[in-house]
Amino acid sequence: MFSKKTKKILNSVPNHLKTGFYALVLGGFLISSAQAEGFSQRQVEVMAGSCANCHGTEGRLAGVVPAIAKRPAGVLEAQLLAFKRDEEPRATVMDRIAKGYTEEELRALAHYFANLDNK
Amino acid sequence: MSEENKTLSRRSLLKGVGAASLLPILSACGATAVSKGTAGHVVVVGGGFGGATAAKYIKRGNPAIAVTLIEPKKTFYTCPFSNLVLAGERSLDSIGHNYQELKEVYGVEVVHAYAEDVDPVAHTVRLSTGSTLKYDRLVLSPGIDIRWDALEGYDQAAAELAPHAWQAGEQTRLLRRQLEAMDDGDTFILSAPANPFRCPPGPYERASLIAHYFSQHKPRSKVLILDSKDNFSKQGLFTSAWQEVYGDRIEWVGLSGDGKVVRVDAQKREVETEFGTRHKAGVLNVVPPQKAGKIAERAGVTNSSGWVPVNPRTFEAELAADIYVVGDATVAAPMPKSGFAANAQGKVAAAAIVASLEGTSTVDPHWANTCYSLINPDYGISVAGVYRLENNEIVSPQGSGGLSASDADGWVRRAEAEYAVGWYNAISQDTWGTRL
Repeated sequence: MFSKKTKKILNSVPNHLKTGFYALVLGGFLISSAQAEGFSQRQVEVMAGSCANCHGTEGRLAGVVPAIAKRPAGVLEAQLLAFKRDEEPRATVMDRIAKGYTEEELRALAHYFANLDNK
Repeated sequence: MSEENKTLSRRSLLKGVGAASLLPILSACGATAVSKGTAGHVVVVGGGFGGATAAKYIKRGNPAIAVTLIEPKKTFYTCPFSNLVLAGERSLDSIGHNYQELKEVYGVEVVHAYAEDVDPVAHTVRLSTGSTLKYDRLVLSPGIDIRWDALEGYDQAAAELAPHAWQAGEQTRLLRRQLEAMDDGDTFILSAPANPFRCPPGPYERASLIAHYFSQHKPRSKVLILDSKDNFSKQGLFTSAWQEVYGDRIEWVGLSGDGKVVRVDAQKREVETEFGTRHKAGVLNVVPPQKAGKIAERAGVTNSSGWVPVNPRTFEAELAADIYVVGDATVAAPMPKSGFAANAQGKVAAAAIVASLEGTSTVDPHWANTCYSLINPDYGISVAGVYRLENNEIVSPQGSGGLSASDADGWVRRAEAEYAVGWYNAISQDTWGTRL
């Protein structure tokens, strides 16, 4: 999961500091993916707020309406784009919802939900 | 939250400075200042969809902010799904929610009392317990109050005979008991108000689900809707579903067909319309004209319409600084007065409050809404909307939102009925942390 360069740096970190170092690297990775489309973390959180009304807080509630937290970003993005483009024949309401967001916003939302950590 | 400490710290702050520098300190203690050493104190009035959500999301945004939620009821019954209770398809308990998770998981202080008055200048809320709370930011989510003076013959005493059941709980129980006791062959009359009012498709879902109950338990009874308007939410979908599912059991009379009720005789369960037609009901349900909950009036944030104008970016009241108002009480068109919209507005206000207490800039607001209505427990229809800010106005992006397809297959109606339940479970979890 890390590049050669990162591994080299990691090897130079004393063992007792490694946990914190991993956390820093991972933390940075999460922030940068949420911000990939130029949206701040808080901006994406506000956009994602609406999703919770049917998918539960942070999209974690599984039921008739599926949980969306921690599903792969590519899968979520492809599904959202299919809704937006009327390419999902089983759509009931998400086609109407997805059309309210730009493709960049949908990508940012997909990354946000994909990268939620376990709580 | 230690309001005493806060007052003390302000006093000692004032004591420690000379008279010459008093003014700037006073203004620093005014509208936007937060007591030194704290992240701020937010008081939230109203524990429904808007208020409970705001309280939770302020804590999620910054746990160091002290949040006190004022809500008289220990169990909050939702208007959504109360029509299923009326139809005997659900228990009232199943739509009741408590405040345990807000307290235990999110650290919200919950006070079961009425908020009786707000002093927007002193930044205080007076409670029915006699105590006064000081706030840095106030959220009002008061829902609706009935306009008891707007419909002749319909006052609080009349509502005990001809319930509105537009605030769930005892009124829901009362209307359900009346429906059960009604003779087969009698008519259920629902008087629907002019716009705007809480839950635009609500009266028509209620008519549908009571027709469902009649079809099983009182096969000779009918439903008559007397309406003060000529158009209503999801009208085409409702009308064709009524035809399809209930035949002529449901009759709707609009404004131009003399549907506007102008006088109520609750004792006789009789109503009179604009042009003098009298209708006698077996059970009479009056959904009366409404306005913002009373505490909004007390805080001075309502306008002549009786509702609360807000800055749509933050949902801060136009008429008072540091008071944010969310939910049915607000003027937020094209967003409807729905629980979903109240929850969405609660999150936008929460983000704006966290940003203002932290001194950071507010992000762009986004909202959505989906209102499911049940024709019967297996037949659902919906209207959806996505909203954002353009030129400081709430708009729905072109091509987004709208109604369930009018020509949808049966599986779509069944799926939407299931998704309605999924929605109810999810929004309850998101708002109160309670689930079924």
